[in-house]
Formats: sequence, structure tokens, C-alpha cells
Amino acid sequence: MRISTFAIAAVLTVIASAAAEAHAFLDHAEPRVGSTVPTAPRELSLTYTQNLEPAFSTVAVTDANGMRVDLGKPSFNGTVMRVGLRPLSPGTYRVRWHVLSVDTHTTEGNFTFHVGKE
Amino acid sequence: MSFRLLRAGLFGFGAAPVPFHKGVAHEIVGNRFFPTSRYMLLSFALASSIALASTSNAFAHCFVGARFFPATLATDDPCVADEMSLPTVSWSKTADMPPASEWDISGEISKRITENFGVSIGQTWTQIRQPDGTVTAGFQDLETTFQYQVLKDPSHELALLAGVIVDWGNTGANNSGLGTSYSLVTPTFYFGQGFGELPETLSWARPFAVTGQVGYQIPTSNFDFTQSVFIPQQLVYGASLQYSMPYLKSEVIDLQLPDFINHLIPIVEATFTTPVANNFGNSYTTTGTINPGVIWVGSYFQVGLEATIPINRESGSGVGVLGQLHLYLDDMFPRTVGQPLFGGTSAAPRKLTF
Repeated sequence: MRISTFAIAAVLTVIASAAAEAHAFLDHAEPRVGSTVPTAPRELSLTYTQNLEPAFSTVAVTDANGMRVDLGKPSFNGTVMRVGLRPLSPGTYRVRWHVLSVDTHTTEGNFTFHVGKE
Repeated sequence: MSFRLLRAGLFGFGAAPVPFHKGVAHEIVGNRFFPTSRYMLLSFALASSIALASTSNAFAHCFVGARFFPATLATDDPCVADEMSLPTVSWSKTADMPPASEWDISGEISKRITENFGVSIGQTWTQIRQPDGTVTAGFQDLETTFQYQVLKDPSHELALLAGVIVDWGNTGANNSGLGTSYSLVTPTFYFGQGFGELPETLSWARPFAVTGQVGYQIPTSNFDFTQSVFIPQQLVYGASLQYSMPYLKSEVIDLQLPDFINHLIPIVEATFTTPVANNFGNSYTTTGTINPGVIWVGSYFQVGLEATIPINRESGSGVGVLGQLHLYLDDMFPRTVGQPLFGGTSAAPRKLTF
């Protein structure tokens, strides 16, 4: 019992002492992943589980023809990356992102959202 | 990862690179720079090198593009990484008649030596209680695994890994029959494939992924004189089918499910062993288990729980249980033990251009 208690305490100590940094997962997006929005959004917002390193993080939004519809350089605020969007017509748009969290781990992903009636 | 120890981790003590400071580059640019100073040039070059090294792309545990393969409990994931499984606990009823009750408690730590080469060390303590109350307990043989990352293809969510598992003879409780006087060498091939490339009409299936491994186990002795039996060469193989709720939320559709649900990966694992040679006088029956379960994935650790269902009478008696706490050392200690021992990562930091 003493050994098992010690082992559990040791593991919990290791977890608790770990730095508060890890891979940056996409926590949520606005417009939401896979969603359909009735009106064209002016901005895409991506919120991650870790703070981002702006120098090595980026995002692109393309229409069904593969043409960029974002305004280019994203802005950053801690865990959030934002990019402005050109006026979007009804259709499907793909978001591709690649981020580096401040602990040097990279993650990437892509998803779509739709503009128009459900 | 062998089926013998039911392990699923990776081990490590790493170099300690200089921490990354976000402002370094800007401070250098902002300060006055004297190009005639050799020392200033050297300092600038050194600082740049350190900054690059410390911000190099570190995918670490099993990320392949948008896909994350969790550490599986009964088989191994298809990546080298800096991880630790502590503990892995299983309970089952043996195939004996009448069946005995068996507990296995194991730990494993895995460490990247280079970006693509890793070593794992695992140990299992076993207790077998017979129906008459007789108890046998002790350590199984020490197990080490050497693995090389053959391929990580992010665009196709494909990972390939080659390895050799060695169970070292005379390192366990030979007197209890839990250790052996001979070693086992198992060249093993591992793979992982995500279904992220499925068409939009099958988007609901894109969170699926399969992993698997196939190994050929060769004993260093053909005959066990203690038990007077031949020691067979065996095919050891297994696979997992998993459905990633994190992938569903971040890549397909955000259903706004409770946060706990969004961290789950339902999974079914299967492990099998088939004697194929040097098995004179013994059955060639395949043994194994089917393990349905679920893994909860966090930022620094994961917790997995599976039922173990024997595929036949020779594989066990009744349903057992397998659980594991698995720590991501590369995320917990990204600048120390979470780094490869040598060479750092192969890729320089980059900002992708789409």
C-alpha cells in the first residue's frame, strides 16, 4: 500500500510540476467548424488551447475554386488567431491553419464552413 | 510495444536546449549593431542558431498532419516519442482449468535518441492467484524496444515505423515461471492510417483511423529444458480501429458537445499470437483478445480503459479489464526530457505559405 501510494503521489507530482505548455489544439472557431452561417462573416477567429507564436503561425481561407478570400496577415492575441475576410458570396470555404505553440510544438489542420441557407 | 507487457509508451531523458524567448530577434534588430566587431557577429550567429534550434518543429508524440494517434493500450502507436506509461494495470482470468486470477502492473518509459530513433524500456510485475489460494508473483523479463520512424506523411495521415522488441532472458522471476532463461527477439513493423482524405460525402467517417503492428517472435533457444517443451517461433500481430472525437470537432464539424466528450477516442483493439514454427507437440491455435474501450486525451496525459475479451478458450476465461495512465513527456517538459537526446529536430521553423 505504501509503495502504491508513493507511486501515485510521484506521478501526480510529475504532472503538477510540468510546465503549462503543450501542443496547441484548435479549441473552437468562429464561424464554427463545419457550420453554415446565413450571412457572410467579416472575420475568421481561431482559438487554441495554448498561446501561439505569431512568427510561425498562419491561416488561409479559400473558396471552392481555391482562390484566397482572406485579407492576408492574421492578428494574434494569446491563444487567438484572427484574419479578416473579403466579402463572401454563398458557398463553401476551406480554412487551412498551421500554428506553433510557444513551447515549440507545431500543429496543423483544415476544415470547411458554409455561407448561405442551411 | 509488445503484447507481453501490454505497454504503450515511450521513454526519455533529453538534452536541455536553451529556452525560446519570443523577443530575442526583435531585441537584436532593435539594438545598435556594430558590423566591424567579430565577436558581435559570432554572438549574433550563435543567438540565431539557438533561436532556430529552440523553435524547431516538434511534432513529438504521434501527430501526423491533422491526425493525432493516441498511445494505444494493447498495441503500440506508429511513432517514436518521449512518453511514459505508468501504470498499465490489467486483470484477467487465465485459460487454466479452473482459471486463475491474474494481475499485471507494468510501466514503460520511452525516449527519442534522435528525431526518428527511439528506445523504450518496460517492466511488468505479475501476480497469479490460483483457486486454491496459491499465489505466484514476480517480475516478467525486462523488455526493450528499438524503433525507427520510417515515414510520417502529414498530407495522407500515414505513419510507418520499424522496430525490434527484445525480452531479455534471466531478468525476471525465473523461479516463479514468470521470467525465462532465454530471450525473445521480435522484429516488428507498425503502421497508422487516418481516414482524413475521405470525400465530403463521407465526412462523418473522417475521424476514423486504423493502427496496427506485425512482428515475428524468435526465441534465442529452441527448447525449454525446465518445462521440457519446444519454444515456438510466433507471429504476434494486432490492430486498432479508433474514432477521434477531437478530430471530429476540429476538422469535420463542431457539434458543441460537452468538453469531456470532445476529448474521447472510442477504440477497439485486437491482439493475436500464432505459433508458426518449432512448435512440435503443441497446438498451433491462435490466441488473443478483442479489446473495446475508450481513451480520454488531454494536453499532458491520457487515460485509457478497455475490456479484454478472449477470442477462444485457449486465450482466457471471461472478460478482463485493462487500464492505463499515459504521460506526454514532450508536452510536460518540452525543453528538457521532451527533446531528442541528439540532433534536435530535423526541420527548421517555418511559416507555411498557403
